[in-house]
Amino acid sequence: MMELDDLKYIWKNNEPGFQPKGESEIALMLKGKSKSLVDKLMRSVWLELTLTLASGITLLVYALTLPSGALKWTSSAILFILVVYTVYYVKKLMLLKRFDLANENLRATLETLVASLTSYLSFYKRSYTILYPVYFVLGLLFSFLDRGTTEFLEALSRPRTIVVLLSVATIFYAGTIWFVRWMLRKLYGNHLDKLKALVNDLHG
Amino acid sequence: MIKEEKNFINLINEHQGLIHKICIMYENDPDVRNDLFQEIVLQLWKSFPTFRGEAKITTWMYRIALNTAISGFRKQTRHVKTEDLQEVHFNISDYGIDDLEENFQKLQWAIRQLSEIERAMIMMALEEVPYEDIAETIGITQNNVRVRMNRIREKLRKLMS
Repeated sequence: MMELDDLKYIWKNNEPGFQPKGESEIALMLKGKSKSLVDKLMRSVWLELTLTLASGITLLVYALTLPSGALKWTSSAILFILVVYTVYYVKKLMLLKRFDLANENLRATLETLVASLTSYLSFYKRSYTILYPVYFVLGLLFSFLDRGTTEFLEALSRPRTIVVLLSVATIFYAGTIWFVRWMLRKLYGNHLDKLKALVNDLHG
Repeated sequence: MIKEEKNFINLINEHQGLIHKICIMYENDPDVRNDLFQEIVLQLWKSFPTFRGEAKITTWMYRIALNTAISGFRKQTRHVKTEDLQEVHFNISDYGIDDLEENFQKLQWAIRQLSEIERAMIMMALEEVPYEDIAETIGITQNNVRVRMNRIREKLRKLMS
């Protein structure tokens, strides 16, 4: 029973529990949504990109009707963030599109997936590392617009304000970075570890 | 139904046993297995327009199905634990039944104990896929396939004895 030919005989003659799927069932499957990791990520990024573009266009139309002033400045700053986010989502899509299940062998697929997922996650982490300080500066800018130059500079020159601002910025920044890393590890960490182990197995 | 879709459905109909076997080797839970079956069909459908017939149809199907099962499909849960599988193994041994269906279950259990790469290789070997095509599908040399197949046979021998 231990020779390959015997195993082939067992393998070919028995398919317990095999219930062939009908044509209509297969046709229905073709209309379903893919549950693959890459397809799920792509769908999520497309949704975020669409929402960002829709918000951006709405805000732009609104900002064009505003007279010059604090509100126009605020709208322009938010529009700037939305443009940065659009570039960010397009870059994410480009990273995900590199993945192709059909034209590569298993080893190449695994290597590409590990590389794509690693770049995607690094890009995700880097973008948060850059974007949160931008949010902080924008917060200060809004405060400046709200209070006026003199009052704002006066408040900013007080040691207590500086200490409070720096503490809040540090806690917010460190907390966000920690949370993003923890969340990405929880969502994709195990899968990425498994993929790396498979690549190592193929290299071994 | 357009002609291309009809041709594709006929193709899946003809070779669905292959997809089914890959699903049972990579998933224990029937619901997740169904999801994997659908995922493989979807990935094959996505790639169908680019299939030019340069490779054998089963080699092309194996490539996409194994790529999907091993790398592209992220399991939500893992329902069956090793202990459950051991129980299946011991039950079969205890009864000493050697009919084909029991032997198939035993073989299936033994294959599931192998690594995911080894499972892919032995499945193709059992389906009489030539070593050349196995090497191409996995992305290793034919010599490497031979060495690994010897190791796999040895492992299966131990597991099934």
